[in-house]
Order: sequence, then C-alpha cells, then structure tokens
Amino acid sequence: MLVQYTIIGILFLGALAFGAFTIILSRLLQPHRPYPEKLETYECGIKTQGTAWVQFKTSYFLYALVFLVFDIETIFLYPWAVKFQSLGLFAIIEMFIFLIILIIGFWYAWKEGALEWR
Amino acid sequence: MGVNLTLITPELVVTGLAFVVMIISLLVPKDQKKGLAYLSVFGLITTLVILYLMIDVQGTLFNGMYVVDAFGSFLKMLVVLSSLMAIIMGVQYVEKFITGFVGEFCFLVLFATLGMMTLVSAGDFITLYVALELMTISFIILVGFGKRIFRATEAAIKYLLLSAFSSGVLLYGLTLVYGAAKTTNIDGIMEYIAQGETPPVLLLGIVFLISGFGFKVSAVPFHMWTPDVYEGAPTPVTALLSVASKGAAFGVFMRVFLKALPGNVELWMPVIIAITVLTILLGNFVAIPQKNIKRLLAFSGVAQAGYMLLGLVAFSTVGVSAALFYALMYVFCNMGAFGVVIAFSQAGGSDEIQDYNGLWKRSPFLAAVMLVSLLSLAGIPPLVGFVGKFQLFKAIMEQGYVWLVFVALGMSMVSVYYYLLVAKAMYLKDPKENTPIKVPMGMQITLLATMIITLFLGIYPTPLTNLATQVAKTFF
Amino acid sequence: MITLNHYLLLSAILFCIGLYGALSKRNAVAILICIELMLNAVNINLVAFTKFLTPEVLTGQIFAIFVIVVAACEVAVGLAIVIAIYRDRSSVVVENLDWLKW
Repeated sequence: MLVQYTIIGILFLGALAFGAFTIILSRLLQPHRPYPEKLETYECGIKTQGTAWVQFKTSYFLYALVFLVFDIETIFLYPWAVKFQSLGLFAIIEMFIFLIILIIGFWYAWKEGALEWR
Repeated sequence: MGVNLTLITPELVVTGLAFVVMIISLLVPKDQKKGLAYLSVFGLITTLVILYLMIDVQGTLFNGMYVVDAFGSFLKMLVVLSSLMAIIMGVQYVEKFITGFVGEFCFLVLFATLGMMTLVSAGDFITLYVALELMTISFIILVGFGKRIFRATEAAIKYLLLSAFSSGVLLYGLTLVYGAAKTTNIDGIMEYIAQGETPPVLLLGIVFLISGFGFKVSAVPFHMWTPDVYEGAPTPVTALLSVASKGAAFGVFMRVFLKALPGNVELWMPVIIAITVLTILLGNFVAIPQKNIKRLLAFSGVAQAGYMLLGLVAFSTVGVSAALFYALMYVFCNMGAFGVVIAFSQAGGSDEIQDYNGLWKRSPFLAAVMLVSLLSLAGIPPLVGFVGKFQLFKAIMEQGYVWLVFVALGMSMVSVYYYLLVAKAMYLKDPKENTPIKVPMGMQITLLATMIITLFLGIYPTPLTNLATQVAKTFF
Repeated sequence: MITLNHYLLLSAILFCIGLYGALSKRNAVAILICIELMLNAVNINLVAFTKFLTPEVLTGQIFAIFVIVVAACEVAVGLAIVIAIYRDRSSVVVENLDWLKW
C-alpha cells in the first residue's frame, strides 16, 4: 500500500520540479525590459477599472439564495433515482409529495418577488 | 410497505394545515389575512382533541425512526397548546407591529409546531436532527421577520449564529455516539450500552450531546443567547420560544438520556447535576438587577429550566412525572405573563419594568393575571407552581440529594424577591398616565383561562399528576 | 493504509478549525463559513463510520445527506438575515451588534 503512495509522491515531486524548472528557465532566458503598461494588472487586454473589492447588487445575492435552497434539495432525488424501480409506487408518490412541497415554496418565493430584478 | 399512518394523524393534520394556510396566504390580499389565524386556531384545537384521544396509543413507524408513545403525546399536547395560545395572543400584535405578515406568522408557527411535535417523537438521530432544525429555522425566521421591530434582526442573527454553532456541536456528538454504537436508533443504542462497554468516543459524544441539548433548553453555561433573543424578538414569538421550544427540547433531552443512555448514568449524572445547580443559581441571581420585563422573564426562564432539569437528576418515574407536570404548568404561567406583556405593548407601553408602575389602576385585570403568573412561577401556595416545585423537590429528596433541595429552595426564595419587584411596581407605585388599557377579546379569554388553570391546578392538581405519572412510566 | 482513525483525525482537526474560527472571527459571514466547516467535519465522520463499521447499512450516508440539506437551509436563512442587518447598520461585524445587552 505504501509503495503505491510513494509513486504518487514521486509524481508530485516530478510535477513540482517541472513547474519550477520552466519558471526558472524562462526567468533566466527572458529579456527584462519593464514599462508602465506592462506592469499593469492584466484583464483580458482591456484597461482595468477601479479595485477588485467592489459591491455586488444584492439582487444577485437573492437569486443565489433561492438557487442554493432549490439546488441542494435535488440531492434527495439522486438516491431515489438510483433505486426507484425496486422501491415501487410508494416511493414515487412520496417523491411527488416532496416535489409538491418544494413547488409551494417556489410559488411563495415567486409571489413575494424574489425573482424580480430590483 | 405497510405504514400505519393513523399513528401520526396529529402531525399530518398540522402539516396539512400549515400548507393550506401557506397557499391561502398566497392567494388572498395582504390586508385580509386575519381569517388565517382563525383557521390555524381551529386546526390546532382539532389536533389537541386528536392528541388527547390518542394518549394511550403506542407504536413505532418507519423502522423505529418515529416513536409514538404517551410521553411524546403529552409533550405534543403541551406544544400544540402553547402554539394555540401564541397565535391567539399574537395576531393583533403582528397586525399592529408587523403589518401584512399575519399569514407568515401563522404558517411559521405551524411549521415550528410540527418540528417540535416530531422532535419529541424522534426514535432515531436522523429524525431528531431534522426535527430540531425544522423547529430552529422556523424560530429564527419568526424572531427576525419583524424587521420594523427595533432590534429584531440583531436578535435573529445572534440566535442564528449561536444555534447553528450549537447544532454543529450536537451533531458531532451524535456522530460519535453513532460511531460507538454503530446505529443511530435510540433503542439500538440502549441495547449497545446494556452490553457494558464505554469506549472514550462514546464519552466524548455524550459530553457534546449535553452541551447541544443544554443550549436548546437554555441551561447555564449555554444560556447566553436567551436574554438577547427574548428581548429582541416579537413578544408572541418570545412567549412561544420560552415555553414550547424549551418543553420540546427538554422532552428530547429526556428521551435520549433516559432511553438511550441510562446504562452509564453514573458517567453523565455529575455533569447534569453541575449544570442544574449552575442554572438555578445564575438564572435567579442575574434576574434580580434586570430592568426590562422580557429580560427578567428570560432569566427566570433560565432558572425554571434548572428546576425542570431536577426531574432528570432524580432519574426516577416520580422525577420524570414531576418534570412533565412542571413543564405543563410553566406553559400556563409563562403564557399568562407574556400575554400581559403583549397586551401592554399593544397599548403603547414599553417593556421596561418602570413603565408597569400603577398598572393596577389602568387595568386591574392585566395586573391580576401578571401577579398570579409571577407568584405561581415563584412557587407560592396555593398556586400551581408550588405543587410543581413540591413534586420536584420530593422526587430528588427520595434520591438522597438533600443539599440540592436546599439550594433549589433557597433560590426559590430569591426568585420571590424579583417577582415581587414587578408586583410592587404594578400595585404600589403611581402610574404616569391614567388611560385604561383595552384588552382584545381573544386575549382576554386566553389570559383568563391561564389564570383559572393556574389557580385550579394549584388547589386540585390530582388529575394532571395522575396523567403525568402514567406518562412517565414510559421510561422505567 | 488509511484507516478509520485517519478519517476521524481529519474530521477532528476540521471540526477544531471550524470551532476556533466560529469563536474568534468577527464577521458574521466568516462565522457562517466556519460553522459550515464544523458540519463538513461531521459529514466526514458519518461517511467514514459507515464505510468502516457498517458497510452494508447506509444509515450514516443518509444522515450525511440530511446534514448537507439542512446546512444549506440554515445558511440561506443566515445570509438573508445578514443582508437585512447590513441594510440596517452597514456592517456585519458581530462586535458591533450591541444594542441588546445588559
């Protein structure tokens, strides 16, 4: 068992050495002529605007919250989907009850305006 | 798969009711939601009747994940009763201070009720955890949803952070117990412990469990959230939080420790005794300098949680039955006191005790209810609080904890002092204004009912004592 | 060979990091993140116990699924309250939440 992990360790060292080697080699070979434009933060070739610490609109935040809740609930669907043939009709009915409850929750979020852009 | 769903009729009724209330509140306009409160009250009364008829029913569901027994049914009745009173007393408060959210108030209270009902019936750690979180998350929203109520959001974030933290600790304990016993079923754990093994993992798990449950019943040193949340939350929510959530958490505390872990009682009992003594001492002493009535009731609630823990310390049928009696009596007394606070703040008063000066002249009824509730909490005969404390003290006396009886008795004397401070303000001081306070009809009936029950059970407690004794036989 | 003890050690370390962070951080969002760490430690515990102790009964894994879902709900409510309090005070530093105290 340990031998197999040694192989992973050797691979890890090799990867580290390769990365270090290329960086050092390019540092040694490159011509060093800095000028202001070159030292600027690179952002897809466009001039940078402001700092990276900006405030996002809380509308994104609300979407994220609603998404988070409804996304994570699907975790219950996976075990059910794997086994639903052997679980039978009872499990299907149960799952639909679960989904109906989720839909009521979604309806509430919609009605209260969580999905509108403000 | 044969599942006997009739066993969980009360839970199904509450679930259905909550969703019906939620759907209707989506359909009707914001200012016409008062009917939803009537609907919820009606549904909860139905549930109460069903629960009363089902008190002798026993059985397990879903491979032992859900246990229906007399102990659970008793605590479910307690929970439903307090939600009922909270909705009746809270509707007008919510309409006045959190306009347009009566529907939300009703269905969140119903979801919290459902969580608490499931919690006291949990026969498995998974059910326990999900029920506990259903209760907690509903309560967090209830505490924080009155955004215009001064400081409600702050109370909510404190409650959220601390309760999430404590449920993390509790969960870690649950997993360690699961790792030791190789099962999450409470009966399975009991069988494992009966074999006589106590690996260190199990011990560590028990310590985590005590701290997690201690948080929920607000026992010292896990009580820090109680005063802040009680003060900041809308008062009907505070009332519900103080009685129902404490009762339900106490029920699950008892079920886990008396059903799953009685095999190594000598290991956890010293910790419980230490916590109980600390809770009684600190709750009563810190209540003395409080200037705000809700904070005073919060610390008195901490102290009362200590008295209820005495029932666990006694570790006998008498002890459990006394604790159950005390929990139910606490519902009536505390709901009465908080009802007066709600009525008073609806009439424009603040929660400061000095504002209660001369309440007797402005509303003799409110002052009387408050006096009876507080004296009963202090344990003055012939009120029900005296009977409750007497039974608890008798139970621990039988087990030979004489010094504990003296501590508890002494602290009861201290509690009389701070309860009487409020009474003094209400009866002996002069009011700033003389306008009489109008109390709404539903509130009047509820307050009158709590007062009559407090008096009646104090004089003739036998029926409730018998019921509690019968229920307590679940464990021993 | 990775044994159960290694997993338990990892989860204990993770739990302690979360515990320390939740007690020492000042930003409400950071505290929520640390609580998530604690819950993830719990999940590692559950899955490891199931794998090593009861490989044929999957109770622990099911428990882990429930923990994940409930934790997500808790965080959703928590972040919503954090927004509400930020709109109130323009700050989410818990030390500034001092309107309620004796």
